[in-house]
Amino acid sequence: MKRLYSLPAVMVILLLFTACNGGHSPGSEVVHKPATHTVEITQMQFRPAALYIQSGDTVLFMNHDMVDHDITEQNNKSWHSSKLSSGQSWKMCFETSSDYYCSIHEVMKGKVVVR
Amino acid sequence: MTRILPAYLRYLSAALLVMLSTGVYAQKQTKLTDPEIASVAVTANQIDIDFAQIAIEKSKNTEILNFAKTMANDHKAVIDQAVALVTRLKVSPQVNDLSKKLLSDAEKTKAMLKRTKASNFDKVYIDNEVAYHKAVIGAVETVLVPQSANAELKGLLEKVLPALRTHLAHAEMVQQKLPK
Repeated sequence: MKRLYSLPAVMVILLLFTACNGGHSPGSEVVHKPATHTVEITQMQFRPAALYIQSGDTVLFMNHDMVDHDITEQNNKSWHSSKLSSGQSWKMCFETSSDYYCSIHEVMKGKVVVR
Repeated sequence: MTRILPAYLRYLSAALLVMLSTGVYAQKQTKLTDPEIASVAVTANQIDIDFAQIAIEKSKNTEILNFAKTMANDHKAVIDQAVALVTRLKVSPQVNDLSKKLLSDAEKTKAMLKRTKASNFDKVYIDNEVAYHKAVIGAVETVLVPQSANAELKGLLEKVLPALRTHLAHAEMVQQKLPK
């Protein structure tokens, strides 16, 4: 019989899925309950500028400024938010650490550190 | 060695770099009223939108174009906030000597930007942006905020300062990246 998926690959996929979608599947042991953290965008700064989280946690970016901002991965531009107008927010689940910046105001920088 | 001011700085120096950022205006002139302050604030923002439009038309440099688009959008957002506030307060912005002076100097700067050769435009534009934002930050800190009577107007001006400082840092970053 042809084997479609290796067991480790299936486990990794399940782990990634459960980490960003509620933290556990029925019958599994809960190691870390994913949390949601908030980065406030205010006075042209990301606050906190450095956020320390655990893998699978979600970060909500909330724009309180009167001008538009976005959140863009800094090194390879591998991910980015949509443009956030005043009062809008955007969230993302993090599995790895990322440096990011606002591509509209390139001097605005922050980072998420996954511990 | 004697340094000669470039043409664009000569245009700016009289109205902004000296009069505003050093607070000389605040010391020698009568106090501005809130309607006059609103007029100066809207005028100063509109001037930078006008500079940005020229850059968007003339530059081919991605960094310059991104910066200019940000200036146009951000300063428009500030004007929208200021207009919303004065509308709610039932105050009409009142043209005054300072806003007239800003406008007349801006006309000279715009004419200079328009006739600047394409090969030199990016440097002239971004140097002007650095100087302009330094002057406007000085004006907001030393004239407009201290002389605002209405707390909401003062609050709006204070809220704008971080954006102006970020614009200045962004302009200086672009300035450094341009070929020498």
